[in-house]
Amino acid sequence: MALVVGVSLALATLAVELLEHSFGVANASSLYLVAVVLSALLVGTGGAIAVAAGSFLVYNFLFTEPRFTFTIHDPGVLLSVILLLFVGVVVGELAALQRGRADAASAREREARAMFAVSRSLATRDSTAAALARIADVIRTEARMERVWVAIGADPATERVAADTGEGQPPATPARLRVLQRTPDEEPARWIRVQRPGAVAPRGGGGGSAAADPALVASGRPAGGLDNYRIRIEASGEPLGSIWAQRARDLDEPDDTETRLMAAAADQAGQTLSRDRAEERTRAAEVAEQSDALKSALLQSVSHDLRTPLATIRAAAGGLRPGGPLSDEDRQASADAIEREVEYLNRLVTNLLDLSRIEAGALRARRDVFELDDALARAIESIRSRLGARTLEVNLAAPPVEVDPVFLDEAVANVLDNALKHTPESTHIRIVAHEAADGRVGMTVEDDGPGVRPDVLPRLFEKFYRAPDAARGSRGGTGIGLAVARGLIEATGGHVSARRSELGGLAIDLDLPMAMVPEELATGRSA
Amino acid sequence: MSPAAPGPTILVVEDDVEARSALVRELTASGYTVVEAPDGRTALERWALRRPDLVLLDLGLPDMDGLRVVTAIRREAATTPIVILSGRFEEREKVEALDRGADDYVTKPFGVDELNARLRVAIRRATGPAGDAAGRVGAGPVVLDAAHHEVRVGGRLVDLTPREFELLRVLLTHRGRIVTKGRLLRAVWGEAYQGEDSYVYVHVSQLRKKLAAADSTGQVERLIVTEPGVGYRVRDLPSPDPDVHGPGEPVPPGTLGKP
Repeated sequence: MALVVGVSLALATLAVELLEHSFGVANASSLYLVAVVLSALLVGTGGAIAVAAGSFLVYNFLFTEPRFTFTIHDPGVLLSVILLLFVGVVVGELAALQRGRADAASAREREARAMFAVSRSLATRDSTAAALARIADVIRTEARMERVWVAIGADPATERVAADTGEGQPPATPARLRVLQRTPDEEPARWIRVQRPGAVAPRGGGGGSAAADPALVASGRPAGGLDNYRIRIEASGEPLGSIWAQRARDLDEPDDTETRLMAAAADQAGQTLSRDRAEERTRAAEVAEQSDALKSALLQSVSHDLRTPLATIRAAAGGLRPGGPLSDEDRQASADAIEREVEYLNRLVTNLLDLSRIEAGALRARRDVFELDDALARAIESIRSRLGARTLEVNLAAPPVEVDPVFLDEAVANVLDNALKHTPESTHIRIVAHEAADGRVGMTVEDDGPGVRPDVLPRLFEKFYRAPDAARGSRGGTGIGLAVARGLIEATGGHVSARRSELGGLAIDLDLPMAMVPEELATGRSA
Repeated sequence: MSPAAPGPTILVVEDDVEARSALVRELTASGYTVVEAPDGRTALERWALRRPDLVLLDLGLPDMDGLRVVTAIRREAATTPIVILSGRFEEREKVEALDRGADDYVTKPFGVDELNARLRVAIRRATGPAGDAAGRVGAGPVVLDAAHHEVRVGGRLVDLTPREFELLRVLLTHRGRIVTKGRLLRAVWGEAYQGEDSYVYVHVSQLRKKLAAADSTGQVERLIVTEPGVGYRVRDLPSPDPDVHGPGEPVPPGTLGKP
């Protein structure tokens, strides 16, 4: 300021000297007005007054008669001085006002940008954790903090850090910190100091406390380096967590703008967290509802199918008692019936358990490399004995697949079971595989039976769905087998779909991931 | 069965009373001497006391993990056969038990014939030699001669790579029993190859192709059986060559003395 005052004064004086002596201008003192206005614009009212006063003294001393004295003869000069002072003050005030407005506007813009960053983080979040991390980052840079972390939990003791701008574990709850005290009214929030009972009392005063913070000392940080701040995250009065911050001690408490930003960020985070909670509760309720619905549908669907074979088993077992009237041949028939019914029940129970695991998302595929004919040998073998007068054609020559063999086996067993169950004797069943595009292996189970109507094809894999013209009665199916097949196939990276077969009946297509086998192994050269 | 010649002793570890008594009835009728245990602790006590010829072990025990029983027994006895009774949802545990040294498994619900076949094979393995005096092992028309390092199918020589030869040797010495992929990898490739399951897959397919190409009987086509998710098993076909006993011929239970 002194520099501006001195320079403008000197320049103006030089100019006046030049005008009055070299060019014969009688009174060039109005040039000082320029100096006053310039200083007012550059350094404010104070500078303008200084320049005005200086101009008066210098001009009086150098240019007015009697020269080199401060004596004033001409009252007009006095008027000039008053004018200079007046202009200086007015222009200075105006300039200061303008500057203040520009500062405020830029601060507001900065605050708005920061707030925008906060709300956009929350609005476009993929996950709340990522959004909280961005918020912590915005607060750290915009509110001039050293480190900011967001913790979620009902109180500091149970809080869990969800986002942190620093490295490593954030410090434990410090013994002394400042908490933002927020009032329900429009009153501005303010920071109040709190401390744990028994903590070292703060020594010294002012903006920063000079006392060493035990928590910080313990964590090996330089004593007196950082102050701790906490803002509670709440929604509808329910505590949800905190924003914690550390600020260099040589800075003052966060100013209004910084405080406002932090408070607003906490509000937004609070709303988001409470919305997350609500969504979670809704989801949990939906899952519970669905699983209730599933349970009752399941019970309805299978109670009959469970009871019928049990009745057969009980009757057949009774006939096996020693001394009964049955011939050996009949006993053999009873024993066979028991075995068949147990096999049926085993499939049903396995499917029920699979279905519940599929519904619960609890299937974990353990994929391995197999050739289809190898992986499916057992499933195919097991239906051969139940073919009756049906004929079976198998051609599974295709590249190896990479699937969970147990899932594939169960799924194909169900598809084959379905084919047997819903086709008359004398049906031809064909199982073929081929290499499909994009590293996939296609497999089809089809028959020349009655097939299903085109409109029900997409529904075949829904659980408990039974095609309208499917056989009714005790062994008409529970609508579980194909649903389980789809669940298992999808869990192991495949797809399943139904269409009308060229043979005339139903075709179920399985699309499975082809195996990647090391080239040097696949070519037969030994590793 | 003559009571004077008691059959091999089987320790049946199963917590379900009905399942256990059904097993006991069946096994006793088949000529075995049966010791029962309802839980893991009792099982280990009775095992130490009686040293049975075979342990039939249910994996889901009330007091301890069935796997721990396998480990405990294997720590003291390398050879006592252990056959696992596993449920459909114990796939991982079953493989783990086999990797820890169990010999075979039967999936519940199982048929009596299937169980008896598995027990016979398991006991034979423990008593019979792993091949004849000349180190020859075989199954069906396949004969592997370790001393001369050659494999013949129905007398016809088959050209195998060293890995394929070793793979076949391991499978044949375990004829009728399952060998997990992990154990195959360790035996044929070494510890460094753990997890490289595709090696086993590729070599088994090559081996099958070569054996099938040399075969005229059609028996070899399905000689090496895949147990999905577990491993491989060479079918328990008797070797027609009178000189090759394989790892012991099936011996009817009850005629088998204790080792």
